[in-house]
Amino acid sequence: MIKEGTSRKWELWAFLAPALVVVVIFYVVPLILTVYTSFTPIRNWNIQRYATKWIGLYNYQKLFHAIANDPSVRAVFLTTAVFVGCTLLVNVLGGLILALLTFFVGKRTNSVASTIWLLPRMSPIAVYGLVWYYFFHGSGIGTLNSLFLKLGLIDKPIAWGQAFIPYGPWSVIIFVNGLVGVSFGMIVLSSAIKSIPSEFVIAARVDGATDWQICKRILIPQIKWHIMYVTTWQLLSLLTSYAHTYLLVSWRLVNKTYGTPWALYVYDLAFTGVFDQGLAAAAGTLLVLVGGLLGFMTLRILGFGKLMVEPRGDI
Amino acid sequence: MSLSDVEVRSKARQTFYSIILIALSVPVLMAFSVLVLSSFANQMVTNFDFSKVKFTLRNWQLLFQGRIAITGGLRENIFLYLLNTAVVAFGVAIVTTLVGTLSGYAISRIKFKGRKFILLMMLMLHALPGSILIVGVYFLYRLWMPTNLNALKYFSFFYVIVARAALEIPLSVWLMKGFFDLLPWEIEWSALVDGASRLKTWAKIMMPLIKPGVVAILIFGFLAGWQDIIYVRTFLIDKTLATFIESNLEAEMAYMPLLAAAATLYLLPTIFFYISSQQLLFKVYAGGIRR
Repeated sequence: MIKEGTSRKWELWAFLAPALVVVVIFYVVPLILTVYTSFTPIRNWNIQRYATKWIGLYNYQKLFHAIANDPSVRAVFLTTAVFVGCTLLVNVLGGLILALLTFFVGKRTNSVASTIWLLPRMSPIAVYGLVWYYFFHGSGIGTLNSLFLKLGLIDKPIAWGQAFIPYGPWSVIIFVNGLVGVSFGMIVLSSAIKSIPSEFVIAARVDGATDWQICKRILIPQIKWHIMYVTTWQLLSLLTSYAHTYLLVSWRLVNKTYGTPWALYVYDLAFTGVFDQGLAAAAGTLLVLVGGLLGFMTLRILGFGKLMVEPRGDI
Repeated sequence: MSLSDVEVRSKARQTFYSIILIALSVPVLMAFSVLVLSSFANQMVTNFDFSKVKFTLRNWQLLFQGRIAITGGLRENIFLYLLNTAVVAFGVAIVTTLVGTLSGYAISRIKFKGRKFILLMMLMLHALPGSILIVGVYFLYRLWMPTNLNALKYFSFFYVIVARAALEIPLSVWLMKGFFDLLPWEIEWSALVDGASRLKTWAKIMMPLIKPGVVAILIFGFLAGWQDIIYVRTFLIDKTLATFIESNLEAEMAYMPLLAAAATLYLLPTIFFYISSQQLLFKVYAGGIRR
């Protein structure tokens, strides 16, 4: 028979311990350390010298002062808002359009298109960065420049990420990050569309509905929850991810001031250039607060608690 | 029943939509293609100007010889970078899968206090990636860092693997829980009633049954480790293909077609795994949401 009591408890721990250890070491402790660092003047990772010095809210004051007065930090703030908003729009609308299109085409075309659109998400970040580095390159080898030169729209190459500030760098980072996220919406939404009972569509067809009416009246209302899911999830992901933007800035493809969203700003403060970890931690803590709040709201809105199936039976 | 729009629509319409879809997809494919093509040319073909281009294998030769420029004596060991990248990727794959399958099983099959809390926590951590805590993660790295240089090298590998895997673990737990949810209870019950322990049941009965899920997570973890640049450049002492490309593009002497060859080499395993397990990966990248 099934053993009761201590051995069962021990087994449960064996299953859960690895995950809990990872969560504690790489989420809980770093969170505490980040918040702690934000109250210290740690610079150049000189922990021994600065970690025990407590400077209260100085880093936060410095940060808010910089947001209010330093144009370059204000630019980062503005860039974050524009970047997150516009990329989110590209992600959700792009994903929705692609998902709807794949619904109306044959299986072959569908699978080819999905394959291509997942490529940005899967490929190594350095390779993906390199691809768009050459695409937007400021010289004649840049794809966009050569295209525009051939069409006669421009008469000499333009460094797209450095010109037309702030719209140039903004467009480049939104484009590059937008393509990464589109596949997420596309996959989630097209699998949601596939699970709609086909009677709905057949009935609409018989009644003579056009494709557009089918999209608007049947498909989109049926996948509302999924659109919501994609939107909130992407919002969080855009707010907190910086890997794809990092290379564009570090390779000077885009203007540093108007190409740096908040998450990258945190990374830059701590690991490149200034090496002011105290300030970076303060900026990071702010991001965690905003992100945590949004994450909490997301889970409430989407009602994830309801999704969980209770284990069956009494073991 | 899966739905595809097979009803009374015209062939012309379908072709029209297909053309739009392909037209939207082509630019992405083109951008990747010209990079790959450039790796076989004596200059970048990203501007579609083929008039002076000669196709050659010279870049690949130079790359494998470890010469990052046509002239100059600087040598880099590309095989070592390839190996380092693979070590990180395999490490992340194994850690992600092991932790995911263990906890996924417990959350799916065992009733215990705090189960709902753990699952919600995993979702929350998945929604809010740990990469924003990187200052704290690096702080911890500094505190634990061994002083011996040789030990530091191994430590940095170990740390980057677990730290990078930690980013994917919430999703992998959630996904594996979903895979376990789909399995019937009867087989497991019979094993438990016959006196097998939970761990034994997990290893001998459940794991073989969810092989596709395990493979999906393994590949997903591998790709996550393989594509990474931020964690690798922050924690790892040694170079990987990502940091090789990053640092050489900044260098003045960068010979661009050679970097294109390095990038193509770096892209190959991704393409291989992707093509071999596309359907499985779709499930993973969708975030395991079924509703």
